[in-house]
Amino acid sequence: MADSLSPECTPLKQEYDSCFNVWFEGYLSPAISPSATDAQRTAHYQRKAKEFEDKCGKVYKEYQACLQSAVKQKGIEPLLQQAREEHPLREPLPPATPSSKDS
Amino acid sequence: MKFFAQSFSYDDPWSIVTLAFFLRYPNPYASHVISCDVVSRSVTPSGSLLTRRLILKRGAMPRWFPRGIVSRAETWVIEESEVDPVGRTVRCKTSNLDHVKIMQVEETVTFRSTPEGKTLQHTEARILSGFGWGLTKRIEAHGLNKFKANLQRSREGVSLIVQLLRQSRMPMALGNAEETAILFTSPGPTRREPTPAEPKIGTDDTHGIPRAQNSWSRLKAWLRPPSRTE
Repeated sequence: MADSLSPECTPLKQEYDSCFNVWFEGYLSPAISPSATDAQRTAHYQRKAKEFEDKCGKVYKEYQACLQSAVKQKGIEPLLQQAREEHPLREPLPPATPSSKDS
Repeated sequence: MKFFAQSFSYDDPWSIVTLAFFLRYPNPYASHVISCDVVSRSVTPSGSLLTRRLILKRGAMPRWFPRGIVSRAETWVIEESEVDPVGRTVRCKTSNLDHVKIMQVEETVTFRSTPEGKTLQHTEARILSGFGWGLTKRIEAHGLNKFKANLQRSREGVSLIVQLLRQSRMPMALGNAEETAILFTSPGPTRREPTPAEPKIGTDDTHGIPRAQNSWSRLKAWLRPPSRTE
Protein backbone atom coordinates (compact mmCIF):
# COMPACT_ATOMS: atom_id res chain seq x y z
CA MET A 1 0.00 0.00 0.00
CA ALA A 2 1.27 3.39 -0.93
CA ASP A 3 2.29 5.92 1.69
CA SER A 4 0.23 8.88 2.77
CA LEU A 5 1.36 12.38 1.81
CA SER A 6 2.19 12.83 5.46
CA PRO A 7 4.31 10.19 7.22
CA GLU A 8 2.32 10.50 10.45
CA CYS A 9 -0.88 9.54 8.58
CA THR A 10 0.66 6.51 6.85
CA PRO A 11 -0.16 3.96 9.61
CA LEU A 12 -3.80 5.09 9.71
CA LYS A 13 -3.93 5.15 5.92
CA GLN A 14 -2.65 1.60 5.67
CA GLU A 15 -5.03 0.38 8.34
CA TYR A 16 -7.87 2.00 6.42
CA ASP A 17 -6.67 0.58 3.08
CA SER A 18 -6.53 -2.95 4.53
CA CYS A 19 -10.08 -2.56 5.82
CA PHE A 20 -11.29 -1.14 2.52
CA ASN A 21 -9.59 -3.83 0.43
CA VAL A 22 -11.33 -6.66 2.25
CA TRP A 23 -14.69 -4.93 1.96
CA PHE A 24 -14.09 -3.97 -1.67
CA GLU A 25 -13.39 -7.55 -2.72
CA GLY A 26 -16.80 -8.57 -1.38
CA TYR A 27 -18.47 -5.52 -2.89
CA LEU A 28 -17.17 -6.41 -6.37
CA SER A 29 -18.14 -10.05 -6.33
CA PRO A 30 -21.50 -10.53 -8.03
CA ALA A 31 -23.43 -11.56 -4.93
CA ILE A 32 -26.70 -10.40 -6.38
CA SER A 33 -28.35 -12.14 -9.31
CA PRO A 34 -28.79 -10.22 -12.56
CA SER A 35 -32.53 -10.84 -12.36
CA ALA A 36 -32.83 -9.08 -9.00
CA THR A 37 -35.29 -6.23 -8.86
CA ASP A 38 -34.14 -2.65 -8.41
CA ALA A 39 -35.45 -2.69 -4.87
CA GLN A 40 -33.47 -5.83 -4.03
CA ARG A 41 -30.40 -4.31 -5.58
CA THR A 42 -30.79 -1.05 -3.67
CA ALA A 43 -31.25 -2.98 -0.45
CA HIS A 44 -28.14 -5.05 -1.17
CA TYR A 45 -25.95 -2.00 -1.75
CA GLN A 46 -27.40 -0.19 1.23
CA ARG A 47 -26.36 -3.17 3.32
CA LYS A 48 -22.92 -3.06 1.72
CA ALA A 49 -22.59 0.65 2.46
CA LYS A 50 -23.61 0.09 6.07
CA GLU A 51 -21.20 -2.81 6.40
CA PHE A 52 -18.41 -0.56 5.15
CA GLU A 53 -19.34 2.17 7.61
CA ASP A 54 -19.50 -0.31 10.49
CA LYS A 55 -16.19 -1.95 9.66
CA CYS A 56 -14.06 0.90 8.35
CA GLY A 57 -15.89 4.08 9.38
CA LYS A 58 -13.94 4.68 12.57
CA VAL A 59 -10.48 4.34 11.07
CA TYR A 60 -11.60 6.36 8.04
CA LYS A 61 -12.54 9.31 10.29
CA GLU A 62 -9.23 9.11 12.13
CA TYR A 63 -7.34 8.92 8.86
CA GLN A 64 -9.27 11.88 7.40
CA ALA A 65 -8.66 13.99 10.51
CA CYS A 66 -4.93 13.33 10.22
CA LEU A 67 -4.96 13.98 6.49
CA GLN A 68 -6.88 17.23 6.74
CA SER A 69 -4.42 18.77 9.15
CA ALA A 70 -1.52 17.57 6.96
CA VAL A 71 -3.15 19.09 3.87
CA LYS A 72 -3.49 22.42 5.71
CA GLN A 73 0.10 22.32 6.95
CA LYS A 74 1.45 21.60 3.50
CA GLY A 75 -0.60 24.39 1.96
CA ILE A 76 -2.27 22.19 -0.62
CA GLU A 77 -5.78 22.87 0.61
CA PRO A 78 -6.54 25.55 -2.05
CA LEU A 79 -5.40 23.12 -4.75
CA LEU A 80 -7.69 20.44 -3.43
CA GLN A 81 -10.61 22.84 -3.07
CA GLN A 82 -10.15 23.94 -6.66
CA ALA A 83 -10.16 20.30 -7.76
CA ARG A 84 -13.43 19.70 -5.94
CA GLU A 85 -15.03 22.61 -7.75
CA GLU A 86 -13.61 21.82 -11.17
CA HIS A 87 -14.28 18.12 -11.08
CA PRO A 88 -17.56 17.36 -9.39
CA LEU A 89 -17.55 13.67 -8.61
CA ARG A 90 -21.05 12.93 -9.89
CA GLU A 91 -21.39 12.73 -13.61
CA PRO A 92 -23.44 10.29 -15.62
CA LEU A 93 -21.61 7.11 -16.48
CA PRO A 94 -21.07 6.25 -20.12
CA PRO A 95 -23.48 3.65 -21.49
CA ALA A 96 -22.73 0.13 -20.31
CA THR A 97 -22.10 -1.13 -23.82
CA PRO A 98 -19.40 0.68 -25.76
CA SER A 99 -20.95 2.69 -28.55
CA SER A 100 -19.42 2.61 -31.99
CA LYS A 101 -18.50 6.25 -31.96
CA ASP A 102 -16.98 7.22 -28.64
CA SER A 103 -16.53 10.96 -28.59
CA MET B 1 -3.86 20.08 -27.82
CA LYS B 2 -3.03 16.44 -28.33
CA PHE B 3 -5.55 13.68 -28.08
CA PHE B 4 -4.84 10.03 -27.60
CA ALA B 5 -7.05 6.96 -27.24
CA GLN B 6 -6.31 3.30 -26.89
CA SER B 7 -8.17 0.13 -25.96
CA PHE B 8 -6.81 -2.96 -24.34
CA SER B 9 -8.36 -6.22 -23.28
CA TYR B 10 -7.55 -8.25 -20.16
CA ASP B 11 -8.40 -11.94 -20.16
CA ASP B 12 -9.45 -11.70 -16.53
CA PRO B 13 -12.90 -10.92 -15.17
CA TRP B 14 -13.90 -7.37 -14.40
CA SER B 15 -13.98 -7.83 -10.63
CA ILE B 16 -10.31 -8.91 -10.52
CA VAL B 17 -9.10 -6.20 -12.89
CA THR B 18 -11.02 -3.57 -10.92
CA LEU B 19 -9.58 -4.80 -7.65
CA ALA B 20 -6.10 -4.75 -9.16
CA PHE B 21 -6.65 -1.25 -10.48
CA PHE B 22 -7.47 -0.01 -7.00
CA LEU B 23 -4.54 -1.89 -5.48
CA ARG B 24 -2.04 -0.80 -8.11
CA TYR B 25 0.09 1.46 -5.93
CA PRO B 26 2.73 0.63 -5.08
CA ASN B 27 3.99 -1.68 -7.74
CA PRO B 28 7.41 -1.97 -9.34
CA TYR B 29 6.17 -0.20 -12.46
CA ALA B 30 4.97 2.84 -10.51
CA SER B 31 8.09 3.95 -8.71
CA HIS B 32 7.17 7.55 -9.53
CA VAL B 33 4.22 7.46 -7.12
CA ILE B 34 5.32 9.13 -3.90
CA SER B 35 2.04 9.11 -2.02
CA CYS B 36 -1.60 8.26 -2.56
CA ASP B 37 -4.45 9.31 -0.27
CA VAL B 38 -8.19 8.87 -0.28
CA VAL B 39 -9.72 12.30 0.26
CA SER B 40 -13.36 11.27 -0.08
CA ARG B 41 -15.32 8.12 -0.61
CA SER B 42 -19.01 7.26 -0.65
CA VAL B 43 -21.51 4.72 -1.90
CA THR B 44 -24.43 6.20 -3.86
CA PRO B 45 -28.03 4.96 -3.34
CA SER B 46 -27.74 3.02 -6.61
CA GLY B 47 -24.71 1.21 -5.24
CA SER B 48 -21.85 2.95 -7.08
CA LEU B 49 -18.65 3.63 -5.19
CA LEU B 50 -17.25 7.12 -5.66
CA THR B 51 -13.65 7.76 -4.68
CA ARG B 52 -11.44 10.80 -4.89
CA ARG B 53 -7.74 10.23 -4.40
CA LEU B 54 -4.90 12.73 -4.15
CA ILE B 55 -1.66 11.38 -5.54
CA LEU B 56 1.83 12.87 -5.55
CA LYS B 57 3.93 11.82 -8.51
CA ARG B 58 7.55 12.41 -9.27
CA GLY B 59 8.37 13.65 -12.72
CA ALA B 60 11.36 14.81 -14.66
CA MET B 61 11.60 17.83 -16.88
CA PRO B 62 13.07 17.21 -20.32
CA ARG B 63 16.61 18.43 -20.78
CA TRP B 64 15.60 21.13 -23.24
CA PHE B 65 13.12 22.70 -20.83
CA PRO B 66 14.19 26.15 -19.50
CA ARG B 67 15.76 25.97 -16.07
CA GLY B 68 14.42 27.73 -13.03
CA ILE B 69 10.73 27.59 -13.94
CA VAL B 70 9.87 24.44 -12.12
CA SER B 71 11.55 24.25 -8.74
CA ARG B 72 10.51 20.71 -7.96
CA ALA B 73 9.55 18.09 -10.50
CA GLU B 74 6.63 16.75 -8.48
CA THR B 75 2.97 16.97 -9.35
CA TRP B 76 -0.24 16.66 -7.38
CA VAL B 77 -2.74 14.57 -9.26
CA ILE B 78 -6.43 14.15 -8.53
CA GLU B 79 -8.06 10.85 -9.44
CA GLU B 80 -11.81 10.47 -9.39
CA SER B 81 -13.40 7.14 -9.91
CA GLU B 82 -16.82 5.59 -10.03
CA VAL B 83 -17.30 1.86 -9.70
CA ASP B 84 -20.69 0.68 -10.89
CA PRO B 85 -20.99 -2.94 -9.75
CA VAL B 86 -24.38 -3.40 -11.44
CA GLY B 87 -23.28 -2.25 -14.89
CA ARG B 88 -19.81 -3.79 -14.25
CA THR B 89 -18.10 -0.55 -15.24
CA VAL B 90 -15.37 1.58 -13.73
CA ARG B 91 -14.71 5.07 -14.88
CA CYS B 92 -11.74 7.00 -13.64
CA LYS B 93 -10.67 10.53 -14.45
CA THR B 94 -7.23 11.82 -13.59
CA SER B 95 -5.63 15.21 -14.01
CA ASN B 96 -2.74 17.17 -12.59
CA LEU B 97 -3.52 20.01 -10.20
CA ASP B 98 -0.34 22.02 -10.44
CA HIS B 99 2.00 23.03 -13.27
CA VAL B 100 -1.19 23.24 -15.34
CA LYS B 101 0.05 26.22 -17.34
CA ILE B 102 3.06 24.22 -18.50
CA MET B 103 1.03 21.14 -19.24
CA GLN B 104 -2.24 19.61 -18.21
CA VAL B 105 -2.89 15.95 -18.82
CA GLU B 106 -6.45 14.73 -18.45
CA GLU B 107 -6.89 11.02 -18.59
CA THR B 108 -10.12 9.05 -18.60
CA VAL B 109 -10.00 5.31 -18.29
CA THR B 110 -12.90 2.90 -18.28
CA PHE B 111 -13.02 -0.79 -17.51
CA ARG B 112 -16.02 -2.68 -18.80
CA SER B 113 -16.98 -6.29 -18.47
CA THR B 114 -17.39 -7.99 -21.83
CA PRO B 115 -20.00 -10.69 -22.58
CA GLU B 116 -17.14 -13.23 -22.72
CA GLY B 117 -16.19 -12.44 -19.13
CA LYS B 118 -13.11 -10.47 -20.08
CA THR B 119 -12.37 -6.84 -19.31
CA LEU B 120 -12.01 -4.06 -21.80
CA GLN B 121 -9.92 -1.05 -20.84
CA HIS B 122 -10.35 2.14 -22.80
CA THR B 123 -8.04 5.07 -22.17
CA GLU B 124 -8.35 8.61 -23.48
CA ALA B 125 -6.01 11.48 -22.83
CA ARG B 126 -6.03 15.18 -23.59
CA ILE B 127 -2.70 16.94 -23.34
CA LEU B 128 -2.75 20.69 -23.30
CA SER B 129 0.02 23.22 -22.81
CA GLY B 130 -0.45 26.95 -22.39
CA PHE B 131 3.23 27.64 -21.95
CA GLY B 132 3.97 29.66 -25.06
CA TRP B 133 7.55 30.86 -25.82
CA GLY B 134 7.44 28.71 -28.93
CA LEU B 135 7.55 25.60 -26.77
CA THR B 136 3.86 24.70 -26.59
CA LYS B 137 3.92 22.13 -29.38
CA ARG B 138 7.15 20.60 -28.20
CA ILE B 139 5.84 20.28 -24.64
CA GLU B 140 2.63 18.64 -25.86
CA ALA B 141 4.52 16.22 -28.10
CA HIS B 142 6.79 15.34 -25.21
CA GLY B 143 3.80 14.90 -22.90
CA LEU B 144 2.13 12.60 -25.38
CA ASN B 145 5.20 10.42 -25.74
CA LYS B 146 5.58 10.18 -21.98
CA PHE B 147 1.90 9.37 -21.64
CA LYS B 148 2.14 6.51 -24.12
CA ALA B 149 5.17 5.04 -22.40
CA ASN B 150 3.58 5.42 -18.97
CA LEU B 151 0.35 3.80 -20.16
CA GLN B 152 2.29 0.72 -21.12
CA ARG B 153 3.97 0.62 -17.72
CA SER B 154 0.71 1.25 -15.94
CA ARG B 155 -0.86 -1.71 -17.72
CA GLU B 156 2.07 -3.90 -16.79
CA GLY B 157 1.61 -2.81 -13.19
CA VAL B 158 -2.10 -3.69 -13.20
CA SER B 159 -1.34 -7.01 -14.94
CA LEU B 160 1.20 -7.86 -12.26
CA ILE B 161 -1.35 -7.26 -9.50
CA VAL B 162 -3.97 -9.24 -11.47
CA GLN B 163 -1.52 -12.12 -11.65
CA LEU B 164 -0.88 -11.96 -7.90
CA LEU B 165 -4.60 -11.93 -7.19
CA ARG B 166 -5.25 -14.82 -9.54
CA GLN B 167 -2.55 -16.93 -7.94
CA SER B 168 -3.56 -16.06 -4.42
CA ARG B 169 -7.13 -17.13 -5.15
CA MET B 170 -6.14 -20.48 -6.63
CA PRO B 171 -3.62 -21.99 -4.23
CA MET B 172 -4.17 -25.48 -5.68
CA ALA B 173 -3.59 -24.31 -9.21
CA LEU B 174 -0.32 -22.57 -8.51
CA GLY B 175 1.78 -24.99 -10.49
CA ASN B 176 3.99 -22.23 -11.62
CA ALA B 177 5.83 -22.11 -8.31
CA GLU B 178 8.94 -20.57 -9.70
CA GLU B 179 7.10 -17.59 -11.08
CA THR B 180 5.29 -17.10 -7.79
CA ALA B 181 8.57 -17.31 -5.97
CA ILE B 182 9.98 -14.61 -8.18
CA LEU B 183 7.05 -12.35 -7.48
CA PHE B 184 7.13 -12.86 -3.76
CA THR B 185 10.84 -12.84 -3.19
CA SER B 186 11.73 -9.90 -5.37
CA PRO B 187 12.96 -7.11 -3.12
CA GLY B 188 9.55 -5.51 -2.88
CA PRO B 189 8.18 -2.50 -4.67
CA THR B 190 11.44 -0.68 -4.89
CA ARG B 191 10.47 2.92 -5.18
CA ARG B 192 13.70 4.31 -6.48
CA GLU B 193 14.23 1.91 -9.34
CA PRO B 194 12.66 2.43 -12.72
CA THR B 195 12.36 -1.29 -13.43
CA PRO B 196 11.50 -4.19 -11.15
CA ALA B 197 14.60 -5.70 -9.65
CA GLU B 198 15.38 -9.12 -11.00
CA PRO B 199 15.79 -11.75 -8.36
CA LYS B 200 18.42 -14.38 -8.83
CA ILE B 201 16.79 -17.54 -10.03
CA GLY B 202 18.17 -20.79 -8.73
CA THR B 203 19.52 -19.44 -5.48
CA ASP B 204 18.01 -20.01 -2.09
CA ASP B 205 15.83 -17.00 -2.78
CA THR B 206 13.43 -19.12 -4.77
CA HIS B 207 12.72 -21.39 -1.82
CA GLY B 208 11.13 -19.70 1.20
CA ILE B 209 7.83 -19.04 -0.61
CA PRO B 210 5.52 -17.44 1.88
CA ARG B 211 2.65 -19.91 2.13
CA ALA B 212 0.11 -17.46 3.38
CA GLN B 213 -3.34 -18.61 4.38
CA ASN B 214 -5.46 -16.20 2.39
CA SER B 215 -5.19 -13.81 -0.45
CA TRP B 216 -4.95 -10.72 1.67
CA SER B 217 -2.08 -11.77 3.83
CA ARG B 218 -0.23 -12.86 0.72
CA LEU B 219 -0.92 -9.62 -1.03
CA LYS B 220 0.02 -7.66 2.03
CA ALA B 221 3.28 -9.53 2.22
CA TRP B 222 4.04 -8.28 -1.23
CA LEU B 223 2.52 -4.85 -0.97
CA ARG B 224 4.08 -4.11 2.37
CA PRO B 225 7.45 -5.81 2.40
CA PRO B 226 9.03 -5.98 5.87
CA SER B 227 12.31 -4.47 4.69
CA ARG B 228 11.06 -1.05 3.80
CA THR B 229 13.79 1.55 3.63
CA GLU B 230 11.56 4.46 4.58
